[in-house]
Amino acid sequence: MPATTKTNFQLVVNGLLNENPIFRLALSMCPAVGISTTVANGLLLGVAVLFVQVFSSCTISLIKDHIHPRIRIPTYTLTIATWVTVIDLVLAAYLPVAYKAMGIFVRLIVAFAIITMRLEVFACRNTVTASFWDGVGMGFGFMFGMVTLGAVREVLGMGTFLGYDLMGFRPLLFFVLPAAGFFLVGFMMAVFNYVETVYRRRAKRGA
Amino acid sequence: MKEIIKITIALTISCLVAGLVIGTTFIFTAKAKQHNEHLNVEQTMLGLLGYGKSKPAPAELKLHPIHRYILSDPDTARMGYVIPVNRDGGQGFDLVELDLKGQFLKRQPLDLSAETVLSAEDRKKALAAVLGPSAEIAFADTAIIACRNGQREAYLLPGEFPGFKTFIKAMVAVGADFRMLGLEVLEHEEDPGLGGEITRDYFKNQFIGKSFDTLKRLKVVKEPLPPEYERYLECLGQADAGLAAREAEEMERLYREKDIYALTGATISSAAVTNGVKGMVRKFAYRIQILDQAITTEKIPVLF
Repeated sequence: MPATTKTNFQLVVNGLLNENPIFRLALSMCPAVGISTTVANGLLLGVAVLFVQVFSSCTISLIKDHIHPRIRIPTYTLTIATWVTVIDLVLAAYLPVAYKAMGIFVRLIVAFAIITMRLEVFACRNTVTASFWDGVGMGFGFMFGMVTLGAVREVLGMGTFLGYDLMGFRPLLFFVLPAAGFFLVGFMMAVFNYVETVYRRRAKRGA
Repeated sequence: MKEIIKITIALTISCLVAGLVIGTTFIFTAKAKQHNEHLNVEQTMLGLLGYGKSKPAPAELKLHPIHRYILSDPDTARMGYVIPVNRDGGQGFDLVELDLKGQFLKRQPLDLSAETVLSAEDRKKALAAVLGPSAEIAFADTAIIACRNGQREAYLLPGEFPGFKTFIKAMVAVGADFRMLGLEVLEHEEDPGLGGEITRDYFKNQFIGKSFDTLKRLKVVKEPLPPEYERYLECLGQADAGLAAREAEEMERLYREKDIYALTGATISSAAVTNGVKGMVRKFAYRIQILDQAITTEKIPVLF
């Protein structure tokens, strides 16, 4: 893949919609299914991923000329692990309240496929600025996916939204279980695909 | 061959740089992190005793930690308690050794201060200095005794017990007569929405007020939580509770001796917490009684 020709704005939209990590690329499904039980969980994990993705993308695009092609994956993992540890330490020291809620999620991020994948297909071929905006797009795309899943699962499963009681009872307890995450991700993928088909058809008719 | 050397060098340098970055961050943040963790634990402890933002803890309230160790030589095993004592008017720490039957063995002063006793490493160093290199020192648990004007007010017991999948870390507060004052779940990995509800007020506040005798035979019942009891549990410990004092008193009297109502769809987690709390309090009550006996017979000038 050659260097990107997209503008910064297009890069962000690309991460949010066209190449949404969860619904289009089907990457990082473990957190998407396991952790998206509430809106707050989705949001916090999204914020953590956003930071790690942006920092890692920038680092890799900075040093891309010096990475030996044979050991690029270990280098990516090392970069991600370093940033995750640094963010973990800084949060624990200076933002104890946020750390209390986000601590367990931050440490999970080392193993996320989406970050390694963005480093491999984008950051190691593009400039720092482009990688930064791509990281922002991907981070927000992931956050958008997690919040959507979390909102549906929290409202239907627990009858609450962001912890506030909406209905006073739990409509479908099934939705907090991991299996429901799979159903929901599948359903959202179908929605995204449908929108794309309609969009393409319209574009063809217009042409 | 040249390729291998190149790769090795590149990887080594990357690892060194990563290590350097992490190490630097650690050095800068370690102190603040430790401080935060300590504050966090202290806040939990005071919260369990009923102190918070609206009701600050009185100055005469003192929290004295007791650390229990298993000390073993090649042929014998014994208990070692690190306890705060009155030394020349100030605070010092002594090691009290008891054999496994609870008989007093000996007492030795330790080189610890109120700050260093908080760190597990410093404690171990001080113990090793007294016991010599041959003894094996294994940390068992900690209990905190809350005192007010020299009177024991409550015991705080941090501990862990098996949950549905992994261990649940919790802190239990009991009064001087081992009546339950409160339960706080510190860390758990129960299923969200099901077993994860053990952190909610309507579950954990059910333990408050249970006497030691009730606690010993406490079970979990699979019955729906009565709505008026749930309302009472939810606003327990809040100053502007939705219940009138008379109503709350009635609830307390009605449900004081009752068993724990299991969470919907999470009987195992509910039972795990109930049994865990039961075990923690029973074991502690037994141990503190033995320790107290040794303290009285040996006339140790303890601070609690």
